[in-house]
Parts: sequence; C-alpha cells; structure tokens
Amino acid sequence: MGRAGRRWSLLVAAGTALAVLVAGFGGPGPAGAQQPVTLNLYINGDTNIFDLWQKGFIPAFTKRYPKYRVNFVGLLHGNGSDGVYDKILAAKRAGRTTDVDLWETEPGFVTQGIPEGLWVKLSAKLVPNITKVPTEPLEAADYYGLPYRGSSVVIGYNSQFVKTPPKTFDDVVAWIKANPGKFTYCDPNTCGSGQAFVTAAIYRYVSPAKYAGKGYDAKEEAAWEPGWKLLRDLQPAMYNNGFHPNGNVAVLQLLAQQNIWMASVWSDMGLDFYKRGQLPKSMRFTQITPPLIGDDSRVTLPAGAAHLEGVLTLLNWLLTPEAQMMVIDMVSGYPGIDWKYMPASVRERFKDVAKGFSPYPNPKYLADVKRLWHEKVVAGQ
Amino acid sequence: MTGSRREGALGLALVLPPLLLLVFLIVLPAITAVLDTLAPPPGASGLTLARYAQVLSARIVRADIAFSVVVTLVSVAAVFCLSYPLALYLRFAEGRLPAVLAVLFTIPLFVPVVIASFAMITFLVNHGLISTVLYHLGIQRFPPLVYNATGIVLTEVWASIPFAVLILGAGLQAIDDALIDSARDVGAGRLRTFVSILLPLNATPTMIALTLLFISIFGSFTIPYLVGGNAPQMLGVTMTNYLTQYFRRAEAVTMAVIAFAISAAVGAVYVVSVSRRERGTV
Repeated sequence: MGRAGRRWSLLVAAGTALAVLVAGFGGPGPAGAQQPVTLNLYINGDTNIFDLWQKGFIPAFTKRYPKYRVNFVGLLHGNGSDGVYDKILAAKRAGRTTDVDLWETEPGFVTQGIPEGLWVKLSAKLVPNITKVPTEPLEAADYYGLPYRGSSVVIGYNSQFVKTPPKTFDDVVAWIKANPGKFTYCDPNTCGSGQAFVTAAIYRYVSPAKYAGKGYDAKEEAAWEPGWKLLRDLQPAMYNNGFHPNGNVAVLQLLAQQNIWMASVWSDMGLDFYKRGQLPKSMRFTQITPPLIGDDSRVTLPAGAAHLEGVLTLLNWLLTPEAQMMVIDMVSGYPGIDWKYMPASVRERFKDVAKGFSPYPNPKYLADVKRLWHEKVVAGQ
Repeated sequence: MTGSRREGALGLALVLPPLLLLVFLIVLPAITAVLDTLAPPPGASGLTLARYAQVLSARIVRADIAFSVVVTLVSVAAVFCLSYPLALYLRFAEGRLPAVLAVLFTIPLFVPVVIASFAMITFLVNHGLISTVLYHLGIQRFPPLVYNATGIVLTEVWASIPFAVLILGAGLQAIDDALIDSARDVGAGRLRTFVSILLPLNATPTMIALTLLFISIFGSFTIPYLVGGNAPQMLGVTMTNYLTQYFRRAEAVTMAVIAFAISAAVGAVYVVSVSRRERGTV
C-alpha cells in the first residue's frame, strides 16, 4: 500500500468509528445494556414534590435498577413549562427524539399535545401495574399520562376556635358570615385551593360533569352567575375585607399566624405542614359533601422520548407499594393505585379527607373561571 | 482613507451584534405583534381596531390601565420629592457623613426586587414591624399598608431612589461652583439659588430621570405581583394573567401594545430632552 492507500484506510477507520459513535448515541444497542442509561425527568411542582422525587423515588429506583441513572430537572410552580412543551413539539415536527423522557405537567399542555401525537398512550402491555390504578383517572386523560399520586382540596380549620366543623359548602358559607375576617381563599390565578373554593360556589348551582368533560361553550357560563353573586356577597366577610393572597402557602401562613381560623387548603400541603409543626396543634382537616375539587398528578411520556424502555420501567415501579408509600409518607398525598392495595393503617389515617373529590373544570372553562372571578368578584367590589 | 474605512468597518462590527439583537428580538416581534392586533377576523381584509375596542370595553381593563398610570405617577412624584433633597445634600455637604450616606443609599440597587418585595411585606403587613410600632404609639386603626396601591408605591419608591439620586446627583455635580458662588455674591439665598440656578441647569437630567423612572415602574411586574392586591392590578400583572392563566393571547398582546404606546409617549419626552442636551453641548 502506498501513501494514498494508507490515507484511505485511515478515512474508512474514522468513518467506521463515527458510525459506531452515532449508532451508540442513537439508541440502546445490544452493547448499551452495560452502559448506564440516563433518564431525563422534567418535574413540575413545588419543593415538596421535588423532594419526593430527589430524596424518595430516584434513589430507590436507581438502587433497584442500577443500570439507570436519573437527571432531574425541576420546574418550580411550572416555570419554564412553555419551553419544555415547545421543545417536545419541535423534536416531534423535526422527526427527532427528545431528551425529555418524562414530564409531570398541567393537564392543559397534555390536552394541547394530543392532536399533535406528542404522547405515548399507556396500556397494561406497556405498564403491567397499571391494572392496580382505578380506571376513572386514567380515562379522564385518555390514558395519556399516569396518575401516580393524587390530592384534593379540603377545609382546614383551627379546632380551638371552630367547635363544630362544617359538613357541607353551605355550612362553610354560614360560618364565614358568622365569623367575618376569619376565612380566605387564595387568588385562583395562583393556586388550586382557591380554585376549589370558587368552583365549589359555582358547582353549588350547576352540575360539575357538564364542565369537567371535553366540550366547551362560553354560553354555558351564564349558569355561573349565582355562584359569582354568592362569592361577591362573601367578600366583605373575608380576611382583610376581601383580600386573597397569592399561592397556597400564603394561606397556610395566615392559618399558622392565626390571622384566619378556616380556609380551603390542599390535603397534602396541609397535612405536611401540620406534620412539620408549621401549623397550630389544634389544626384539623375535613372534607365536605359534595367534596371540593382535587386532582391526580400525572406523569406524561413524550412519544419521542429517547429512553422509552427505561421510562416504562420507572412508571411500572412507581405503581409498586414501595413507591406509593413514599407518596403517603413524604408528601401526605393520596396513592395513585387503589386504596385497597394500601395498608389498613394508611387507610385509617386518611379517613377524614379521602372521600374522593369533585372534578376540575376542563382547562378552557378553568381559564374562564379565573378570568371571570377576577372580573365579577374582586373587581366588582 | 483606508484607515477611516477600516475604522468604519470596525465600528459597524462593534455595533452590529447589539443592533441585530435589537432588530430580531425586539423590533420585528414588536411589529408582528402590532400587526397581529390589527389583523381582521378570518375572511375579511384590511386593518381593524376591533381588538382594541373589545379589550378597552372591559371595565376591569380600563380600571387596570388607569390604576397603572396613577400608581406610576404617584411613585415617580414621591421618588422625585425624596431623592432631590438627598442629591442636593450629597452634592453640597462636606465631611465624612455624606460620604457614608452616599454608599448607604445605593444599597437598594443591589437588592433583588423579589427580596425587597418580601422584606416590604414582612415590614408592612398586619402583624409586621410598622403596625406593631403604630400600635404601641396608640394608633390602633390605620389603613392597610400592603396588598394595595400603598404597598406598591412604597416598594417602588424604595427600589427607585438610588437610581434617581445617581442621575440627579450627576447632573448637579456638573454645575460649575463658580455659578453658585456668583449667585451668592449678588445676594441670592439658598432657595433663590435652587430655583434660579440649580433647577434650570439640572432640567435635562431631571427629565431623563423622571421619564426612565416612569417607564420602568409602569412596566414592572414583580413588585405589583407580590405587593399588590387582587384588583385593580397593574398592567404587567394583568397581561401575564391574560397570557398564562386565561389563555387569551390576543388580549394580552393588545394590552402590551397599549402599554407600549403609553411608554412610548413618555419616551418621546426622554428623546427630546437628550437631543436638546446634545445640541446644547456641541
């Protein structure tokens, strides 16, 4: 071989090396089984949910399945969600894989991405443990997302001042009027516990099912008028003459300082604060009838996820009692799997609050609930 | 010849990156946004102001616009009244105390507004420091100081004073001592010197400070979001709600254009002041 020949063989060698490299990065080849696979999880939530993943799920999962490593990306209060959605959409349109292997986000983004074919439709074939999950929450999102934990809004009250806890929404309204300045709910633009109180007032006069489904017709919102009137009439009896703080935590702080004696709060946040001693010892939580709204938190799997096999393993593991007990112990959430698969002691602990929950209005109606609340309740003062 | 051409090319190369950034990230999106708000409904042609009419027909939006303008004007006025004396003091006082104060008053510049807002809340809230002090002074009933316009104004003023003092102070520094001394020689008192010499000579920096303050307070988000109440709200918060909470992008963009028009009107004052100064010095 002459000089030219040697150059050629060098080129071929380089080309082969490149091809191997590309193939190696492209997907889990047979050799990939030895290499650790890194899963990229994008999790939307508050710091308690970040802890649940970073200090609970991830160490336990990687210990059980050592071939996986996890790269955790936290989206605090959903900041940056638009960017994640655009990234997944762009990858899909370009026909590429995305490095978002799993995304916990708001239902709005999931609904938006279904027509684009962005998500994996889950089934017992992909995730065997899914059979332990009640079917309603799965069907609510058309199986595009795994409801792995839940929580609902409940009424938190300070039993030192509230001797007879309310049993219905009307009881709560009557108590507020009898104890002006001692109740508030947060601005529904900033928190679910405020949305729960507002929707409870609306649902007092209409059937929730009509607004929770997939249809949307702005004309149907005329039926909300009595609900708005009820809320407007309550304004003078609210804390600070009708002030609604921003965020769930702000309301818990008002309860902690005993500025208010009753509020709508998320079951998981309330129980968690109580457990840490950040609320008065006399705080209690109860669910009214019909229950306030609640939701299952879902993780959604992008169809273009680069590490599909690994994420499916993770999802299946999330539905084991080991992982589900972390939901209970670390964030006082409701399990994603049916209560009957949980220990009796857990069922006993949650009996006052775990009474199911009313459905959220669908994202379009919810957006209008927030806008109209602002227009008709606080600006109408 | 070649030297000057090379210099020109170098100048262009230096200006180009920020210019491109400006064109692609601000000018073009702004133009498309304005065109979007004027676009007719599907099927029709020409431009229409229907979106503006629709947005402005909502009482709550009009209230928010008026609220934003009033809160901004009050804040700017308060900043002006507080920072002018401070700037004068720092310009004319001598000794160690002014030097220490000159450092102290810049502190808010280095405190992020998020932290400043939360600090103001703990300071002003029902059971906070101020209310405790007032309570011990025997004043038990006073209007709430936070989660309303008062809270926004107080926080905006606190955050804006350093900037205003810096600009006003720089202007005062540029005034020749000889002018002030000669005014005193012919018998002008302090007030007279201030009204006839300092105020007119410092007019341009004052206009610049006022317009920049107006634009930055008018467009602020963090302070009104954290310290403001539920309604009315400042436009920054309203726009964010329409965009991210109500999924009404068109309305949000329309409000942004309205806010831009208001800021641009004030910005015109700034441009006129600056160009007048340029002409004055050359």
